[in-house]
Amino acid sequence: MHPIRGKAAIVGIGEVPTGHYPERSFIDAAVRVGTMAIRDAGIPKEDIDTIIPIGAVANPLDNANLVCSCLVEEMGLGKTAKSNFQVMSGGSSSANSLKTAVALVNSGLSKAVLVLHCDRLGTGIDFEAAITTFSKSSISQEYESPYGFSQLALAGLLQQRYMHDTGTTERQVAAVVESLRKWAGLNPNAMLRKPRTADEVLDSKVISSPVRKRMMNILADGAAAFIVTSAERAGDLTDTPAYVLGMGSRCTNFTCTAQPQDLFKAWGPACMEAYDMAEIKPTDVRVAEIYDAFPTFILISMELLGLCPRGTAGQIVEAGHTSPGGKLPVSTNGAMMAQGHTGAGGGMAILVEAARQVMGKAGDRQVKNTDIVVETASGGVGMDFHVGVLGREV
Amino acid sequence: MAEYKKPLPLITSLSKVFYDGCKENKLLYQQCKDCGEVIFFPKIVCPGCMGENLEWKESAGKGKIFSFTVAYDYAPPEFAGDTPYALAVVNLDEGFSLLTNIVNCDFEKISCDMPVEVMFDPVTPEISLPKFRPVAGV
Ligand SMILES: [Zn+2]
Repeated sequence: MHPIRGKAAIVGIGEVPTGHYPERSFIDAAVRVGTMAIRDAGIPKEDIDTIIPIGAVANPLDNANLVCSCLVEEMGLGKTAKSNFQVMSGGSSSANSLKTAVALVNSGLSKAVLVLHCDRLGTGIDFEAAITTFSKSSISQEYESPYGFSQLALAGLLQQRYMHDTGTTERQVAAVVESLRKWAGLNPNAMLRKPRTADEVLDSKVISSPVRKRMMNILADGAAAFIVTSAERAGDLTDTPAYVLGMGSRCTNFTCTAQPQDLFKAWGPACMEAYDMAEIKPTDVRVAEIYDAFPTFILISMELLGLCPRGTAGQIVEAGHTSPGGKLPVSTNGAMMAQGHTGAGGGMAILVEAARQVMGKAGDRQVKNTDIVVETASGGVGMDFHVGVLGREV
Repeated sequence: MAEYKKPLPLITSLSKVFYDGCKENKLLYQQCKDCGEVIFFPKIVCPGCMGENLEWKESAGKGKIFSFTVAYDYAPPEFAGDTPYALAVVNLDEGFSLLTNIVNCDFEKISCDMPVEVMFDPVTPEISLPKFRPVAGV
């Protein structure tokens, strides 16, 4: 057995609604999710000896303050905290901070770790600045930016080739949005809760072919947090810890041009690694909380995770199997397409949702028998791929 | 000639060699003399063996479109007036890939795996950008 399989657990989670909240200050949302996670865990705040704030991108000053322990002061952790430091890898920060937290509690260097994300991409940054940010980061200034590339173009390139390789139809890609909106309708913290059918998605105009307007995510304000402690301690705190059973990852590239063209070869091993560590098979997965940014990435990830044969994810989504009541629930918070894109927080929202489903705290969207939940994350322009397996029992 | 307002490539000691080549209508890439790795974007060390024994080679400029997208809206601000325009990742016959624009082509006719060839667009007196067009007669 893998030496750290099931040795740590997520014991508390916190989240505020994602959306446009101009009146909600950065620090207010951050402190709120932090204290929410501590109360949810029922852990004395004195036990939180390590604070890991994930990078905020809308305002460099907010981020500098996170790095310089503003949360330690605001939350009154200063008498017992030992470390405050940032983990930042864009969308995959959730996975990398989980990995760090698990290692810290397993080694005995930390008793309990608070991981927290907060950002204001909806109202703390203007729209033009946001487009500029996403057309400049993770893009080679020497060889890519002269051509008018952006992260939206990346979504176009990915969807085009995926449809070419698999014969997936545009309607099947659009059906991902329909499925996510149905979940978001059950999620009070989601931003886009109105139903949206695949046909309505196809009615919207092409933005970066074949990506249409309603296949785009929306930038939003949001915050979420989780607490990791040892399995031993977790058992004393709660009856429903989300044990960390497996983790696997691959980090392959910086630019989109250098992204491996065979993702199964490059990123497939990340899934195998996580499943092997967790001692599960793809058929054991009850819920898949898949990181999106764009609908095609969900389809590709379903296939990478072995949840369906290659090229068939679109059919499964179109048939309704990933929607509420379906046999393979996918991204039950609505993912970034419907919950909202909070910068590095998309992965956090997905990871917190995975823990929520395992803990049985997902309210109207709670899936039954969530013994095994898998979650994914990816940063940059698809620079890496992370898989985590959470479970009810070790 | 109107002033060119779009982003120009960042010129470093490495990219200067590449863009000096473009100015002479040559598409350059690197190859490692120790392990044979084909290298692009140009690098300081070989990503295969970390060696520094790299040489520049000239590509024939022919390849196939791996994937493409046509930008109609939400383009980076400097490109907003240029929409629609086509972006593609092209796989060159020598075994490297680059991001580029597809030009001189009906956007409806672009497809994955379509054969394309390089042409050089002199956007300023100093900088020519390699772009790709369909191979004639294919
Ligand atoms: Zn080499």
